[in-house]
Amino acid sequence: MSEPAASAVRLHGVDMAFGEGESRVTALKQATFEARAGELVMLVGPSGCGKTTLLSVIAGTLTPQAGEVEVFGNRLDGLGQEALTAFRRRHLGFVFQSFNLIPTLSVEENVMVPLLIQGRGHEEARAVAREMLEKVGLEGREEARPTALSGGQQQRVAIARALVHGPTLLICDEPTSALDKDTGAQILAMIRDLSRAPGRCVIVVTHDHRIFRYADRIAEMEDGRIRRVVDDPSLLEQPHL
Amino acid sequence: MYRLALNMLFGDRGKLAMLLCGLSFSALLMAQQTSVFFGIMSWTYTPVVNIRAHVWVSDPMVEQVNDAKPMRDTDLGRVRSVDGVAWAAPLHTSFLQARMPDGNFKLVTLVGLDADTFAGAPAEIVQGRIEDLRLPNTVMIDEWGAQLMSRTEVAPDGKVTTRPLRPGDTFEINDVEARIVGICRVRRAFTGGPFAYTTYDRAKAYTLGARRTLSFMLVEPTAGVTPVELCDRIEAETGLRAWTSDTVIWDWSARSLARHTFWWFWRNTGIPFSFGTAVALGLFVGIAISGQTFYSFVLENLRYFAAIKAMGAGMGVLARMLTFQAVVAGLLGFGLGAGMAQGIGRVMIEKGMPPFVMFPQVLWATLVFILGISLVSALIGIAKVSRVDASTVFRG
Repeated sequence: MSEPAASAVRLHGVDMAFGEGESRVTALKQATFEARAGELVMLVGPSGCGKTTLLSVIAGTLTPQAGEVEVFGNRLDGLGQEALTAFRRRHLGFVFQSFNLIPTLSVEENVMVPLLIQGRGHEEARAVAREMLEKVGLEGREEARPTALSGGQQQRVAIARALVHGPTLLICDEPTSALDKDTGAQILAMIRDLSRAPGRCVIVVTHDHRIFRYADRIAEMEDGRIRRVVDDPSLLEQPHL
Repeated sequence: MYRLALNMLFGDRGKLAMLLCGLSFSALLMAQQTSVFFGIMSWTYTPVVNIRAHVWVSDPMVEQVNDAKPMRDTDLGRVRSVDGVAWAAPLHTSFLQARMPDGNFKLVTLVGLDADTFAGAPAEIVQGRIEDLRLPNTVMIDEWGAQLMSRTEVAPDGKVTTRPLRPGDTFEINDVEARIVGICRVRRAFTGGPFAYTTYDRAKAYTLGARRTLSFMLVEPTAGVTPVELCDRIEAETGLRAWTSDTVIWDWSARSLARHTFWWFWRNTGIPFSFGTAVALGLFVGIAISGQTFYSFVLENLRYFAAIKAMGAGMGVLARMLTFQAVVAGLLGFGLGAGMAQGIGRVMIEKGMPPFVMFPQVLWATLVFILGISLVSALIGIAKVSRVDASTVFRG
């Protein structure tokens, strides 16, 4: 029998609220969640249930008011901004809902950004970025501006940018919401195939039930908590979510 | 990251053009107005430039070259007796009304030169000879003056024409005839009036025998004596005031007549305030346009800066990127603005009006101001980006 995979992300009793007094909104209530290395976990649930906040806490862009956050053995809840920034630089890759590709830069330059942030040289970064663009099937489009590409192509650039520096945790926020059904499926298949690595964990926040089948596990959220975790994605593959 | 910062800046051509417009307009306004200011101010000491002498001597109460307080003719002898004086020549300067043949009056600057040496005579004579001033009732006027005092003639066919004065023409100063025997080329003066050169003795006649007519003395030191040393000796022995003729207005230790004249006008006229206002306006317009444009550039790119922040770029990296973008825009704006100012200056110099003197210090100061504007713009952008929460990238 094989040993269970190591814990990649572990949240325990996380509280997160915004605002003061009467305008205070509680986004996470004693949220507890775990994702293992090598798996693709989807966070699903209705709007306002706390998915994005949970994602931000895991990414270290929000610091929770209470609870423990551990990513690949690093406790994030006690780290300062500088250490969190350095942590994101080394370990995290992002795929955003609206791509967030810089329109004034070329496709290749967009993919180079995480490498340049890490302090890699321009030429080295360019070579690595070209390799990555080839993997996502965008060879020959390196010099194009993102605005000259289709939505699916733009998201492929975003995936290349997210993976180019070899992150251990890939965070995808609604990666298919701006895409049609077929393109969304292709993108998710690509995320699953390219990010499959023994030590890497992928967390995808989505509303799109059509892509649930790409998940290893699905965590369903409700009112700031993880309501249940489902090992068989087909159980949740229904349009009501 | 600097290359990417540059590409981000150049990628948005519209914003870049707007940014460069603001910065170059500021640079143009600052460099051009300051150069015109220095040009006009350099005209204040024009007599020092036109009348070339190593040492000038004046009444002790004189503060600048246009403010002659006549001395007694006997003072000339006292100065000549000072050890170290090779020669000393009298000079008369005054502003007088010239009556033109058509009855009009024009203000002229009358310059009376020593008839023996012609010390202080114009360096460039276009028509005639300086020696012709020894003839009775003769003057030599400058080219600009010849145009300014143009006379109107009616041809036999009734056609009216205007032409510059030329040798042979006459006018009157205090009812005494002044016949033009030559045209010279000299630098124009702040007072704007034409120069009429004549001999020192005839200048007395034109001023209707004023009791004192010795405005200045032009003095040459003997070999081995510096102008400054000679000034010290003249002042010590005669009680008069002695000046050097160098035109470096920034040298505070010098006893330059030009420098004293320049700063006298600075202190006693509204010219610096007027031009200073234009320069300040350039600065404020630059800050307003560039700051606003750069801020809008940052606002438009805010979500990308937030994304870069989320990817792990510290504020230091982002601040350096923004500062680099602002400085590059500043340097380009300065280059364009200073280039345009140079171009306008060249045209001004060719046309002769208004004056234009672009000191290297003016360019350096403009560069510093433009970079200052750029850095202020960058700071505004940095402040905005520093407040951006990296988690906003997850909010769609």
